[in-house]
Amino acid sequence: MEEAFKYLGAGLAMGLGALGPGVGIGILGYGAMQALGRNPEARGPIMTNMILAIAFAEAIGIYALIIAIILGML
Amino acid sequence: MPKLGRRSKVGIIVILALALILVGAILFPVPQPAVHLSANYGKDTHVEETHIDETPVDEVHNGEVVEEASHIPPPFFKLGPIWFTNTLITSLMSVVVLGLLFFFGTCRMELVPTGLQNLCETIVETLLNFFQSVAGEASGRRFLPVIATIFLYVITNAWMGLLPIYNIFGWGEHGTTTTLLNSIAGSVFPEYEGFIVKTAVLRPANTDINVPLMLALVSFLAVEYWGITAIGARNYAGKFFRYGQFIGALGQLVRGKVKTALSGLFYGFIDIFVGGLELLSEFVRIISFTFRLFGNMTAGEVLLLMMAFLVPWLIAVPFYGLETLLGAIQALIFAGLTLVFATLAVTPHEHEHD
Repeated sequence: MEEAFKYLGAGLAMGLGALGPGVGIGILGYGAMQALGRNPEARGPIMTNMILAIAFAEAIGIYALIIAIILGML
Repeated sequence: MPKLGRRSKVGIIVILALALILVGAILFPVPQPAVHLSANYGKDTHVEETHIDETPVDEVHNGEVVEEASHIPPPFFKLGPIWFTNTLITSLMSVVVLGLLFFFGTCRMELVPTGLQNLCETIVETLLNFFQSVAGEASGRRFLPVIATIFLYVITNAWMGLLPIYNIFGWGEHGTTTTLLNSIAGSVFPEYEGFIVKTAVLRPANTDINVPLMLALVSFLAVEYWGITAIGARNYAGKFFRYGQFIGALGQLVRGKVKTALSGLFYGFIDIFVGGLELLSEFVRIISFTFRLFGNMTAGEVLLLMMAFLVPWLIAVPFYGLETLLGAIQALIFAGLTLVFATLAVTPHEHEHD
């Protein structure tokens, strides 16, 4: 019974934890595409800052992955 | 021979690829990989076989006995406090590779660079331009040694982990495992029968949690050091302990201006709280750096192993491309975030007094 809840928790942790970063990265991409469309010459700084911001958002998804891994190994 | 249109050419390539996959699955089955989420920091196996007489029925987790699925292999040998694991070997290998690359690139320097010297100069100059564009001329030049080393170390570890010698040979045992296609159609696709590797000798260095932890600690110490030496310890500590506005408001209260004192107290209190949060976020950054790099690299390694195990010979190729790109991006992100935090640390904090 305990094992079942552990695995269920692991699945829920990863699944629900991937919602936020997914939406966040989508919004970041939207903003970057808009900025690029307005000013294609500023491609360098726009892409650099977009990658940096995506790294921040993705780290939250990685935290959820770590929790799921730990729950699966307990 | 009739001239083949584009569609039939693509059709022929797809059929050839499928035939190659089928031939690979029939003739060369792949063993189920032993995926360990940690490098071999486990206990030795021979001390755990003493609890045969007592087998508690309702206890899920006995103290000494470890379950088979999560058994972490022991290290190769221990030299006092240093455990020689497979990731230690590969991290030393990437140090040697980087050292040799830059040594032979600069051993005979000419004014007009060619060949290896040109490559080394390109790497250093690109990084220097990137750092100077973010941090400014003088600061960019000052930050270059530590942050460029972090970048090159992470990218060398990540890209060397894609070579075919990693995760392939090691200690193991003879056995049989089923493959995926065998469990679907057992008569056509055979089982794997042969040597199964349980402990690989070489494993990508970024998948050991100690390497990202080390890099995060180095970046934390470097940022603090640059901040303190650039603007002075007092000024730097003043960014985190902002009692200025609060004490000024108390002074105004004593002197009798109650109205401005109250608003000053309120904003002063918020200022102290924000300073405390910034101090906390300096330390939480260590954990965030560690888990970002570790999670990305471990997930990538597990993905590649699973893809190679599922369908042999061709499906893993796009995932190799993804993993290459991901390694480069993670190195850039680690170095870039350290650079951004260092730039924030060396700018003096402007006190706003109204």
